[in-house]
Amino acid sequence: MAMTLVEKIFARCAGRDTVTAGEVVWVRPDLVTVPEVAFPAYVKRLRGVGFERFSNPDKVVVAIDHEVPAHSQAGAERNRLTRQLAHEFSVGHLFDSEGITHPLLIERGLVRPGDFVAAADSHTAVIGGAGAVGVPFGFETALLMATGQIWVMVPETIRVTLTGKPQPGVGARDIALATMRELDETAASYRLLEFAGEGLAHVPFWDRMTLCGLCIDIGAKSAVVPADAVTVAALEEIGVETTGDVVSDAGARFCQEVEIDLGTLEPLVSVPPSPTHVRRVSEMRDTTIQHAYLGSCASGTLEDLRAADALLSGHKVREGVNMLVIPSTRKTYQRAMEEGILTRFTAAGATVLAPTCGPCFGGLAQLCAGERRISTSTRNDPGRMGSAEAEIFLGSALTVTASAIAGHICGAGDIAKGRPS
Amino acid sequence: MRPYTGTCWKLPDAVSSDQLIGPAHVFDFEAETLRKHLLEEIDPRIAAEAKPGDILLAGRNFAQGSNHSHPFIAMKAMGLGLLCRSISRGPYRLTIFMGVPILTITGEIYDALEHRDRIEVDFTIGEVTALETGTTFQAEALPPHLLDIVKAGGGFEHAKAQEQDQKPL
Repeated sequence: MAMTLVEKIFARCAGRDTVTAGEVVWVRPDLVTVPEVAFPAYVKRLRGVGFERFSNPDKVVVAIDHEVPAHSQAGAERNRLTRQLAHEFSVGHLFDSEGITHPLLIERGLVRPGDFVAAADSHTAVIGGAGAVGVPFGFETALLMATGQIWVMVPETIRVTLTGKPQPGVGARDIALATMRELDETAASYRLLEFAGEGLAHVPFWDRMTLCGLCIDIGAKSAVVPADAVTVAALEEIGVETTGDVVSDAGARFCQEVEIDLGTLEPLVSVPPSPTHVRRVSEMRDTTIQHAYLGSCASGTLEDLRAADALLSGHKVREGVNMLVIPSTRKTYQRAMEEGILTRFTAAGATVLAPTCGPCFGGLAQLCAGERRISTSTRNDPGRMGSAEAEIFLGSALTVTASAIAGHICGAGDIAKGRPS
Repeated sequence: MRPYTGTCWKLPDAVSSDQLIGPAHVFDFEAETLRKHLLEEIDPRIAAEAKPGDILLAGRNFAQGSNHSHPFIAMKAMGLGLLCRSISRGPYRLTIFMGVPILTITGEIYDALEHRDRIEVDFTIGEVTALETGTTFQAEALPPHLLDIVKAGGGFEHAKAQEQDQKPL
């Protein structure tokens, strides 16, 4: 029987030869991830009902990534307790202030194409960039750690075929937002998005994390770019051996097909009140901004930092704009430092901080009423970053950097042409 | 599980997870704290006045956005049930896992019920009764394996009971 990629993964994790979309099966994930936000609360709840150990602690990843460095007494206590409990429960991996969970999993070689990761955090779909499937389960992850298994409904798959070649200045964020224009939450809900097509050749490995991670915000169960030559080459560099291609069979059933011609795309931006409210950057040029943020698990890669650095060359962050740059992992931070990127960001007037989820959920650099930020992070709900009367716009690293230079929303093309300055 | 009888608190379409409980409370998992903040941005009277047995009546795409557990911890502590026109998989699972009874309903039922109406909902059979008019509506009840989790009081209690009965989870 022809199966989709996710059917194959869930069949394997259920110990079955085949499964079909719509079935409910019990699965054992390859990895379980929990941030410090929730880990002590999960353990407390588990102990309250008498669970004193994890079923398979080697497969548990605990990450201190949301409040790093601690900037409250409660945060300091939570981080200390997380370290202590991770040790007590003998978890396989503790990422202590080393970066954001999802990109770290790939960077550390902990996920391979065809893996299934169950996560407490919403944006685990980022790992779809490496051909794996990440699904968020919130508090249910606590019980999963104790029992080792969880029920899932095998999702139907929507195939998104990318054709053509993107214009300069158009990248993974713009492709994700173009996908949002094609699929609303009614279409995406309970379904997995699988990217395909020759256009993927123009989406570099680390940009695929952005592409997949943002699809969770359409309301999809997850998203994946099946492993191809790009994946294999990137994972080899990390030291991950890929064993066989986990891809959808010829003849597998897709519940919907969408085609996006990358050649027709221009830079896009999400406007309030949600990521799925997508506009062209060119429509939004009158929108002034006071804050620009480059970071989060949906950006903050070395490639994004390099692109922003190249665009900033010869320019400064406009007076009156606060630009914040946060590399997504410590290794990325170090590489960017070695390449002089962080020095040049600082010289151009940006503030650089150590890896953390911080601003994405309003844990750092909060906004006041009436302020606007353009950001590479994941969501822009009112109140997400402080005041509910602040406005958050979401765009690519290039769009955010161009806007920081200009003081209003614009694209990289506008800066190259010298238009706003 | 007995039917829920109480006041209906009607909500619009697309109430987001962040509107249910603001992200400022993301680090807090204490039910007694969270219940004070449920829906405070939309209608602070809900946290102040809602009683056990009351029902949140929501439109389409309830709890969209971040997959946060907090609103469902609060709803469980307050003894609320949930009727909604649609809900994505993340919050659907969390509702059940926290032991909050839920039915997905049609537009006809949503439109027939008004804010602050008295209603009775038997979640075990999917029956919704508007007590003002006596009209009864039929919705699809949860599948048995999910209803069992809600009846047990939530995922943890269900797992412990299964363990004691030595049933496979």
